[in-house]
Amino acid sequence: MEYLGLTLALFGAALASLLAGIGSAVGIGIAGESAAGVMTEDPDKFGSCLILQALPGTQGIYGLLIMFFALNKLGLLGGGEAVLVTWNQGLQILASCMPVAFVGWYSAIWQGKTSAASIQMIAKKPEAMGKAIILPAMVETYAVLALLSSILMLMGVQLG
Amino acid sequence: MSYMYAVARLRAMENRFLDGAFFTRLIECVTLEEAFKSLGETVYGQWIASGALSFDKVIDAELLATCKDLEQFVPDKRLLDIYRMPYDFNNVKVILKSVFKAREGGERRHDLLSTMGAIDTETLVLAIEGEEYGFLPYGLTDVIPHAWSVWEQTKSARDAELIIDDCLFTALKKVASELKIPGVIRWVEHKIDAENIGSALRLARLNIEPAAVLSYFHKGGTLSPDDMSRLLNEPLESWGKSLSHTSFGAIFDSIQDRSDTQAVLCDVSKALSASLIEVLNSARYKSNAPENILLYLLQKDEEAKNLRIALVCVANGLNREFARRLLSHGR
Repeated sequence: MEYLGLTLALFGAALASLLAGIGSAVGIGIAGESAAGVMTEDPDKFGSCLILQALPGTQGIYGLLIMFFALNKLGLLGGGEAVLVTWNQGLQILASCMPVAFVGWYSAIWQGKTSAASIQMIAKKPEAMGKAIILPAMVETYAVLALLSSILMLMGVQLG
Repeated sequence: MSYMYAVARLRAMENRFLDGAFFTRLIECVTLEEAFKSLGETVYGQWIASGALSFDKVIDAELLATCKDLEQFVPDKRLLDIYRMPYDFNNVKVILKSVFKAREGGERRHDLLSTMGAIDTETLVLAIEGEEYGFLPYGLTDVIPHAWSVWEQTKSARDAELIIDDCLFTALKKVASELKIPGVIRWVEHKIDAENIGSALRLARLNIEPAAVLSYFHKGGTLSPDDMSRLLNEPLESWGKSLSHTSFGAIFDSIQDRSDTQAVLCDVSKALSASLIEVLNSARYKSNAPENILLYLLQKDEEAKNLRIALVCVANGLNREFARRLLSHGR
């Protein structure tokens, strides 16, 4: 039972990185399929397609950021001794990681779908690139809110 | 390949569609050479450059190349079959009629065969003329001998054609239901309805006995042959009202002048053709809807049809206003 708290906290950190990463990979994959289709016919659209395809990648970065936050909180970065964490504190860290894990996972997939549609939009109307970026960026809002939630919650967890 | 990739690629390919302004320019050309020069600046130019001499061959080459292109990346080839199947069945009808005519001492008209079918025309000719159609798809194996025997009994090519058409619609419905794509199923039903309405309009002009017309209508659409037969008993003015529960009602409501039956037939067939595209239009806003494949092919087909109208008009010096009226703007 000694390490239960640490295990729970690490489980949360892993989920944040894992789920948000999976979501980003799927989202980028969906947008990538669309980008490949457009670029097969019009390779000049590579720049615009790349920007739109990269958008769902941010959730993976947010997940990684929260994982670093959690590891830092646990004293696992920098090679020092791990902080002693009770099961209750471990559970608090696990809960703190959940917003970015789940919102990151879902929002990245939906952002990928929106990016794919935006890529199809610029295939026909290249001049609408600005609008095409705004649409998937709207989905990003909720990933950013989830990131903020996770950061604030992690900062609120008192260890030691 | 996924539908997401396919639809995105089609979106980029749609930029190469000929627009209304081009058709306006084309129709104003004085000579066919001038029209060919304009056409040479479009995607059709590659076929002119490759030595295709007639505009029919240029248009067919482009349509065929589009189908071959799509075959490379469309996840389910049956979507292409749905588009090409009517051409195959039309070829079957042409060959059968040729054989019927040849038996009566007439000439074979294999020049009317279309290369757009999925079955190679030479193979089809050999199969039907050699009576070795066991390998033919879509139920043709059974329907050709049936059509043959009907012709031998009645000597009516029209009766044989109706049997082939029935088989076409049954095969289309079968493929559509196997695909399980709601938009495609709806499109096939709509196509059967459109065919029935077109037949009803032609029959109305001929004043045929209503009891004898039932065999001219096909099953499988949202309107049954009985509905169509009832429609024929009514004056053309009330067809819009009778069909108001369907999307076809508006087509008849919009016809202003019903005195010129030829013009009505022309306007209705144009509207029916546009409505077939309209059925699939809801898929246009879905980035990975398979219906977009069929929608693209139909739009390309419509473009080819418009090109033929414009070029025939230029080649024969026909009335430009009449040609403009025939042009459709499905896109």
